[in-house]
Amino acid sequence: MANTVIAQGITIEGELTSEEDVVIQGTLRGKLVSKDTVNVESGAIVEADIAASSLSVGGHVTGNVTASDRVDLMPGARLIGDVKASRLTIADGASFKGNVDMDV
Amino acid sequence: MADVTVVGQGIFLRGSIRGEGDVEIRGRIEGDIEVGGEVTIADGALVNADVTARRIVVRGAVAGNLTGEDGVRLEQGARVVGDLRGATIGVSEGALVRGNVQSGNAAGAERTRARTASAREAKPVARAAEARKPVAAPAPAAAAKGNGLPRRTATAAEERTGPPPPVVPALKKGARAALRKRSR
Amino acid sequence: MARASSSTSHGGSAILGKGAQIRGRIAGDGDLRVEGAIAGDVALRGDLFVSDGAEVTADVEAKSVVVEGVIEGDIAATDTVSIRASARVSGAIKGSSVSIEEGASIQGRIDADFELPPELIGKAGR
Repeated sequence: MANTVIAQGITIEGELTSEEDVVIQGTLRGKLVSKDTVNVESGAIVEADIAASSLSVGGHVTGNVTASDRVDLMPGARLIGDVKASRLTIADGASFKGNVDMDV
Repeated sequence: MADVTVVGQGIFLRGSIRGEGDVEIRGRIEGDIEVGGEVTIADGALVNADVTARRIVVRGAVAGNLTGEDGVRLEQGARVVGDLRGATIGVSEGALVRGNVQSGNAAGAERTRARTASAREAKPVARAAEARKPVAAPAPAAAAKGNGLPRRTATAAEERTGPPPPVVPALKKGARAALRKRSR
Repeated sequence: MARASSSTSHGGSAILGKGAQIRGRIAGDGDLRVEGAIAGDVALRGDLFVSDGAEVTADVEAKSVVVEGVIEGDIAATDTVSIRASARVSGAIKGSSVSIEEGASIQGRIDADFELPPELIGKAGR
């Protein structure tokens, strides 16, 4: 259960640092560093580098992403940026453009 | 799908929060907040930002100005250093604030000053004998006495909202007669 | 007015009725309930109550202050200040604790004595 939810209709610009799970349904521009999970839901727009324990993308992300655990791109997801994670899944219907480094 | 944005206790945001919807802040913000809905600053939250919203409820700590169109309410536990502005202002016992406070919208404030001005004209007062703007009257008197009371900074707030009202407010036709009748 | 010699002495209780007007300085050891109008200065050791309909155009000093009417002037209370919904206050407000009911018309400044949490200190600059 996420403690932090950026709802649709809200735009956050800046550096977001989190010790807990983050769910993004709105817009984030800047930088996101989470010690826990990050979930970019369908409809969300993120223009930022993301660092998290694990990242799930259902919306649009433009930026480099780093996960200590895994990165999952859902159908409908769109990621433009480099991925650094030990595990990665790209679902059928997801778009991805970038480099992948799984040598973590 | 959640309608309320929650900035959790474990969050530190250096930046801005904008948009439509309600926002609940439990963590730490440095920047500014401007949303169309209601902003709740929870107990334990640390907000170093000006907040502009439809309504603001504070239970945490804020260094910044709070402007709530429909109202601003400080509840027990609130610690605010900054100005409060809103249609209504509520400060509960146990809430601490240091700053200028202004209730009512700008038009309401002008009306209050005009009403007070005409009421004072009807009851001649020693102070009013010196030509002075009605709301500014207490400050010079306090300064003259040097009684150690804090100087009013309301004049700064007045300047911010626009040119100070004339001593005799411009009244619509018939309003002057109506006021004279009322104050008799 | 009879005066007790204890430190919490109350000189008594006075009421300024509706329709009554005072111009000048009011000082006393006791409580004052204002229903009429005062223009000048109020300095009490006791409590001040300004009722709905009363008009006080004065800086006021008292132990506690409860306002339901109009005060145009600074309020300095050693104890609590309560501004009720029907009140109209313009001036600086100081007290051990200040409470304002929603609905009150306020134009002024509140100065409570407290410190913000360390993360916010030095950022306010007010």
